[in-house]
This record gives sequence, C-alpha cells and structure tokens, in this order.
Amino acid sequence: MAITDPAANKSLGEKLQSVPKPVLYLVLFMLAAIPLFFPVKLPNKPIDASVEMFTNVMALPEGSTVLVESDWTNSTRGESMGEMEALLRILMRKKVKFVVYTIADPQAPQVSRDTIRKIADEEAKAGRYRYKPFEDYLVLGYYPNGEGTASAINNKFVSIVSGKKDWPENSAPRDVSLSPVLKGIKSVADFKYLIVVTASSTTNTVLERITKVPMMFMVTGVMVPETTTYYASGQIKGFCGGVKGVYDLETLMENGLNVEGPNKIVSEKSTEVIPGFPGMQNTGKGMAYYPSLHFALFLLILAVVTGNVGMFLAKRKGA
Amino acid sequence: MSYNHELVSLSVGAIATIGLYTILYRENKFYRFFEHLFLGLASGWALVALWTETLKVMWWDKMLGSAAADGNQAAMGYWPYVMLLPVGLLGYTVFSKKHNWLSRIPIGIILGFYSGQQFNAWTNRYIPQISGSMKSIIPTAGFFKPDPNTLNPALGPVKGDLYGSEALNNLIFVLTILCVLSYFLFSFDVKSKVIKNASLAGRWLLMIGFGAIFGTTVMMRFSLLIDRMYFIWIEFIKQGILHIK
Repeated sequence: MAITDPAANKSLGEKLQSVPKPVLYLVLFMLAAIPLFFPVKLPNKPIDASVEMFTNVMALPEGSTVLVESDWTNSTRGESMGEMEALLRILMRKKVKFVVYTIADPQAPQVSRDTIRKIADEEAKAGRYRYKPFEDYLVLGYYPNGEGTASAINNKFVSIVSGKKDWPENSAPRDVSLSPVLKGIKSVADFKYLIVVTASSTTNTVLERITKVPMMFMVTGVMVPETTTYYASGQIKGFCGGVKGVYDLETLMENGLNVEGPNKIVSEKSTEVIPGFPGMQNTGKGMAYYPSLHFALFLLILAVVTGNVGMFLAKRKGA
Repeated sequence: MSYNHELVSLSVGAIATIGLYTILYRENKFYRFFEHLFLGLASGWALVALWTETLKVMWWDKMLGSAAADGNQAAMGYWPYVMLLPVGLLGYTVFSKKHNWLSRIPIGIILGFYSGQQFNAWTNRYIPQISGSMKSIIPTAGFFKPDPNTLNPALGPVKGDLYGSEALNNLIFVLTILCVLSYFLFSFDVKSKVIKNASLAGRWLLMIGFGAIFGTTVMMRFSLLIDRMYFIWIEFIKQGILHIK
C-alpha cells in the first residue's frame, strides 16, 4: 500500500497555520543574533518619561547622594543591566554618590557590585575618575521582607544602615556609618532621589510606603504599562522602561536635550539646554539590542498575520 | 580576573545557556541538569546571603554586642533579641502533625504587621491616581499646542493653558475610565441602554489595554533572548575567544 505524505494533501491555509516550531525558533534566533554584529544607530525620539528622568538626574549637583534600590539579577540582564549601566555612567560623570540596597533577591547585591565595578573600570580606562567602594558608593546588601524594610527606610533610615558593613577597596569590611557617602544623611529625605532599578513588583512596595523622597523607576518592558500610570499621576518623577528606555537615555546622553545640531532632541518637558556627554562612551546595551528587537517584533507580527491569513483561507475552503 | 578565569566563566555561562535552551527541542537530561544546577546555586546563595547580610549583622551581632580592637566593649549586646529565636523557630512546627498549630503564631504576627500597613499603603498608592484622574476637558487656548522648539526659550515651557488637543486627550481618558468602571457594575441588574453600551465599550477598551500589556510582555521576553544571543556571540565568541573588541 502506498504511503501518502500528509503534508502534500494540506491546503495553503493549513500549511500557513502549521509552520514547524523549530523553523520559527531558528528564524527568531537568527534575527535576534545577526543585527548584533552590525550596530546601527536607529532614529529615536525619547518619550517624556525618559526625558524627565534624564533631566532630573542631570540636574543633580556634584557631591549629592541618591538612594538606589537594585532589585534585578542576571535573569533580566537584557533590560535591567542596560538601565543600571546608563544610570551609573551619568552618576559617575556627575560625581554623584549613591547607596544601593536590595529587597527582592539575595543575588542582586553581587550583580550590582559587578556592574558598578565594570562601569567604574570603563570610566577609569577613559581617563576619568574611578569610583571607589565605600568612598563614593555603598552597597548595603540584601534585606528580606521588602514591606517592612521600605517602611523602616521611610520612618527611620538609620535603623536600616545600623550594623551593616561594606568593603572598602583592598580592605576588610567596615561599618557603613563610617563611610563618607552617608555623611549628613540622617533621614531618607536627605537623599535627592530614590531610583528603583527593578524587574519585580518592588515598585509597588516602595510607592506604597516611601513618601519622604521623590522617586524614579527603571523597569522592565512588561512593567511599563503600570509604571506609566504612576508617572501620569505624578507619583514618580520619570522612568526608564525596557530596551526603549535604555536607548532613550543613551540617545539623550549622546545628543543632549535642546542642544543645537543635526540630531537635536526637543521635548515639551523642558526647554532648558542640557548638554549630554558627547565624545564619551554613551551607548551600550540599548543601541546594541534595539535593532534586534525590531527584527524579532517584525517576525512576531509576520507570524500573527501569516497564521490569521492561513485560518481565513482554510475557513473559506471549508465553507 | 585573569584571562583564563574569565574564559572559563564565560564558557560555563555559554554552555549553561545552550543547555537551558535545549528545552525548545524537547525535554532532555542536559536541560534538567542545568535547571537543577541553577536552582541549587540560587538556593545555596540565598541561604548564605540570608545569614551574612541579614541575620548576622542585624540580629546575631547586635544581640552579642561587639568588642573594639583593644579588647574593650565597643557596643553593648541587646539580649532581648534572643526572644526572636523561639518565635521564628515556631514556623518550623508546620512539619509536625501534633504541633503545627504553633506555626500560626509567627504567621499571625507577620499578617498583623502587614495588615496594619495596608490602609496607609492603599492610600499612598491609589489616592494620587484618583485625584490625577480628575482631568479638565474644557480647553482654554487654541487647538494645537505650540512646538516648544519654536518658542522663545526665555519664556520657559508652555504651562497653564489647556490646548484643544490636550483637552481631547483628557476627554478620551475620562470616557475610558467611565466606560471601564461601568463594566464592573455587577451588584445590580443594569437596564439602562447607555450604561449597557458604555459597559460594552469598557470591555473592548480593557481588551485593548490587555493587548498592549501582552505586547510589552512579549517585547521583554525578546529582549532577554537578545541578551543571551549577545552573551554567546559577542561576549563569549567574539570578545572572549576571538579577542575582537
């Protein structure tokens, strides 16, 4: 008995609906990987939330201190690391001190330390000041019970740092209360901003409990819709969302805001001229990932359209 | 970090990444191995971090006090902290059939603390959003907002006036809120045709919102895949093995 190939009997509509998964995965992997070898600067208009965040961070005076909540690990490196790197580049170039703490994941403090060290080395290699642990920044480590920690930060910040130790360069751990970073910090209100870099719902935890310091969020793409609500209601002073947010910050660092030139970026959020950091290493993961993201999304749209066309054709044939 | 150390670290990362992605082909032992390796590492790390970064510095050291370099007492021990230990240990009675009711004590304490915060938490989170939803829908200036680029910078940003285009945005916003709220009128039988239509529109608007949220979710997953591709092709192969910067 002759064996007939079932695929040969399929109509065009059925074929379009049954593209093998491995083929889709292969195409997706190729589309995600190939553009990484050909970095291109795509045209970009930063959104208001990114512009406001950039404006606020750039307005920080030299020597001021910000509190950074770092609640991400390598699982969301694709978005959160780019955000953290962009933030650190600005803070280090503006010589703003920072205190990092974590409430989401015990792995996060080490990931933060590695990222800070990487950007500090990058800055030093470019001939600029190298940020030193304990002198210029502190990593307080992990605090379980995010709700209780956030309440304590708001009501009695000194209770959070009491007993905590951090490593000065080439030295044994020392009590963080001895660090120059915390000089003059008695309450969370003494920080200029609380910047939350997160891949989880810790944004809600701090929003509900910390009221004494203005906040800005750096969130993953999936959190952009709910974070937009907080931004629209004025609860946060700006945010950076996903790869687009990272690319926004990198674009603003490269071209500045309201700076005359072929790539002038304007926003109704501010008419102030804010020069970025021309000639420095401003681009990173945002520029590297943005083209790949476009190709991957194009594949998704193509797959959705193909599947729907296939369903339409199959139904018409059936009718 | 030496070159060899870095290359070994990158190689392990690349092998683990490939191992975890083999699940796309089918369930296999290579995938299972790296899944368990990851879980084991994460659990071990969490245990150590919990002791070194939390229990030791915030409970144990404070309870015992500390000595200065010359041997004298630097900080007094705070002995009442010892009371926290039996309360915490009660949580483990959950494994005993006879005494598991005791585990409800620490759970009750945690729930009590959490509940006490909720009124304030709710207020801080939602009241600004409710007040932010009260938007004006009556324009006070022309339709189009002037381009800030064409304005005299000395005058500063355009503030105060509500342009027609902004009022239209606000109107869409307010209508959306009303329609979506009307969708959740479950407590009584809705007979009004207006509310029924508004409710239907609310359902559609919710679906559009969920679609947008789903879109950002997919975008995020793609970003994570792109990052893994970057790690393997650029950081591991191009920079790590081939030394091309």
